[in-house]
Amino acid sequence: MSTAAQALAEAAQPIHPPPTSFWRQYVFSIDHKVIAKQFLWAGLLFLLVGGTLAMLIRWQWAYPYRPVPVIGQLFLRENGGVIGPATYQQIFTTHGLIMIFFAVTPVLIGCFGNFLIPLMIGARDMAFPKLNMYSFWTFLLSQLLVLASFFTDLGSAGAGWTTYPPLSTNVGTPGPGQTLVVAAIFVTGVSSTMGAINYVTTVIRMRAPGMGYMRLPLTMWGLWLTAILNALFVPVLGSAALLLLLDRNFGTQFFVAGASAVRGGGDPILFQHLFWIFGHPEVYILILPAWGILGDVIPFFARKPHHWYKGTVWAMVIVTVLSAMVYGHHMFMTGMSPLLGEGFMLFTLLISAPSMVVVLNWALTLWRASIRFDTPMLFALATVFVFGVGGLTGLFLADISMDLYLHDTMFVVGHFHFTMAAASFIGAMTGVYFWFPKIFGRKLDERLGKAHFWFTFVGITLVFAGQLLAGYAGQQRRLFDPFQYTFIQGLRGLNRWTSFFAFALFAGQFIFVWNFFKTLFGKAVPAGENPWQVTTLEWTATGSPPPFHNFDRIPEVVRGPHEFSNPEVRRLTGRDFAGQSEVLPGSAGPALAAARG
Amino acid sequence: MTAAPLPEHGYGLPHDVSVDGFRVDELIHFTLAAITVIFVVVAASLIWSFVKHRSGPALYSHGTRGSIGLVVGAVALVLVGVDGNLFIHTLGDMHQYFWNFKSAEAAQGAVLIEVNAHQWSWDARYPGADGRFGTPDDVITTDDIRIPVGVPVVVQLASTDVIHSLYLPNLRVKQDAVPGTITRITFQAKIPGEYEIACAQHCGPNHYKMRAVLTVLAPDAFRNWLADAGEDARRAYDPEDKEAHWGWEWRRFEP
Repeated sequence: MSTAAQALAEAAQPIHPPPTSFWRQYVFSIDHKVIAKQFLWAGLLFLLVGGTLAMLIRWQWAYPYRPVPVIGQLFLRENGGVIGPATYQQIFTTHGLIMIFFAVTPVLIGCFGNFLIPLMIGARDMAFPKLNMYSFWTFLLSQLLVLASFFTDLGSAGAGWTTYPPLSTNVGTPGPGQTLVVAAIFVTGVSSTMGAINYVTTVIRMRAPGMGYMRLPLTMWGLWLTAILNALFVPVLGSAALLLLLDRNFGTQFFVAGASAVRGGGDPILFQHLFWIFGHPEVYILILPAWGILGDVIPFFARKPHHWYKGTVWAMVIVTVLSAMVYGHHMFMTGMSPLLGEGFMLFTLLISAPSMVVVLNWALTLWRASIRFDTPMLFALATVFVFGVGGLTGLFLADISMDLYLHDTMFVVGHFHFTMAAASFIGAMTGVYFWFPKIFGRKLDERLGKAHFWFTFVGITLVFAGQLLAGYAGQQRRLFDPFQYTFIQGLRGLNRWTSFFAFALFAGQFIFVWNFFKTLFGKAVPAGENPWQVTTLEWTATGSPPPFHNFDRIPEVVRGPHEFSNPEVRRLTGRDFAGQSEVLPGSAGPALAAARG
Repeated sequence: MTAAPLPEHGYGLPHDVSVDGFRVDELIHFTLAAITVIFVVVAASLIWSFVKHRSGPALYSHGTRGSIGLVVGAVALVLVGVDGNLFIHTLGDMHQYFWNFKSAEAAQGAVLIEVNAHQWSWDARYPGADGRFGTPDDVITTDDIRIPVGVPVVVQLASTDVIHSLYLPNLRVKQDAVPGTITRITFQAKIPGEYEIACAQHCGPNHYKMRAVLTVLAPDAFRNWLADAGEDARRAYDPEDKEAHWGWEWRRFEP
């Protein structure tokens, strides 16, 4: 029996037969679930590449001028396995770019966005399934461009992930590798824009009957706001990359000034404005999905409704709006107008308010809860911790006075690694452990998961705390050999210990790799429809993994996403949770439940 | 004279040798104290929840007026007490000291220096006896900036090739050098000695070697050095060497 609203939704999204050919099923698929897995594989693979590059940086700081074991023999043969300054600048440049654009973005947004949006809002697929497929293949092209850049003369990009001109023009990095990487940024921007338009449209147009905005799981809010930011600001990055390509290859001078400019030249600072008006929202692009995931996983495992759901939603909306108005704090030292600088400082300090609301709501959700410490919950709680450290250290950097000293030091590196790297990565791992049973139909091993958790949490905290300490003592970022400076020489031990922790952190990730493949290809134990006993549609209205058409019948949503420990539900069902579309026995059908909200 | 800055002791901030650096340090210490309190309070409440509320029924609540008021109140408290305090203090410090180029230039005995950054050196130019930049008696040094103790120093910064950033860890200041524009930085040392000048902005493979030495001299010693160096400069001046004539007319600060 279905309601009129459901019948309308069914008519709008009829069930199509699943594809039968191998290529259409697994390769050029338009199924959002398959595309999500493709993004997951591509992202995890590049996470390994980016992580390896990070290990090379840490090796250099622990043992400068000494041959790198194994990797040095494979890739740095002509140099006797030793990292040189030119190689080193390529390593930290590509580490940053790969982690941000080609590893964390595809996992958090490409994989979870694709997999979860239709399933959590109760749709049969994305609004534009073909655009979705193009988005992935465009993304793959951008990854290939990055890989290709390593094999060019003079090697890959070396101007830093921020790609500031004139260093990123032929003045500083004449090799074709830098061109390929800038092109890769442009192409991945095209992919992100396609994905973003798709996500925004899908959430607006294809929510199941009854799924009002204030009933959306917080993961949906995070991904939707992220998609809005992507749609607005990635094209700005694209324009900057395009102008930079023209500067590099067609003799224009948008960003070239100084001795190499003819007839006046352009303005290097213009690039920074274009870059950071994208770049600061990008920080939130990477953290909002993680916030969203936490906003659901924490109440799920606390068995308690999210504290002040609407407060968190509005806080996330305000962060989204403010995120474009704070970017100038990256440019405090460029000689910008003091008035402009002070405005940016004000907004940067203000953005801490909604962030605090989000964190305090998590804390109050956990208050008087009934917490289950499964692996996803452990990762979620660790995300709260590392995001807290990252957010609090941001206070120093919001402030112009303190930036006079701290800007461009390792303190900045530690701060943004706690937020963008640690919180996004551990947030993404929360999602991987939590939704793995839904994506693949099997549950990851809990014991290996917990071992992986402790390595990751302790490792990440120590590594990035080491960076904060080094920066507090004044060490600049991006130094091939920091110990050229007398005032940094006392930090040798600190840098070396930080590297040891980083090696342990990296090694610990192989527990995850082992767990991943063991679960995927080992003895199959079906996870069941709802192994975590939670409420949202993907767990309560379809199987694990869901069929090609997601829902046999499009569900009608009758309540919010976090209905836990409701005494009324317990009396009627004996359970401590009620699914979003579940009709409770004895209640007078969906209509009445919908009216009660 | 060999330049030999001494290493720092321990892991904290490098020792401060400037007149205004304590303003930065005070804000850093205030912020450190504030975030430590916030962190400990939130972490303690979380740990309490983990220990106390791991079994037994959960409270069925989407948030009450009281608990929402607690969130709003705590956020307002931090916003006013910490963020507001930082904002007000910083506005004052920037206007009166760190970005107050007008009074720094007008101060009695202020030293004006032009610095041109390029891959991977800092060239400094002093106006010489005639007090004007871009004339044959200009004193030019490389990776060696000398200043007198106790008077404001104003530096105008340019770059030939890519963006660099002049960073004086012991004086708590920093400023980018951007090709095509001239930026400013002002500071005042209070303890004579030798300190490091670093580049803080990635500027190519040898960024790590873009190190220079700041020598803070007693006023007499500085005057003597500048007079001697001015004589040398006049003798060494080569009108054909266009590369060496990178100086510019000093740009008075107009807000």
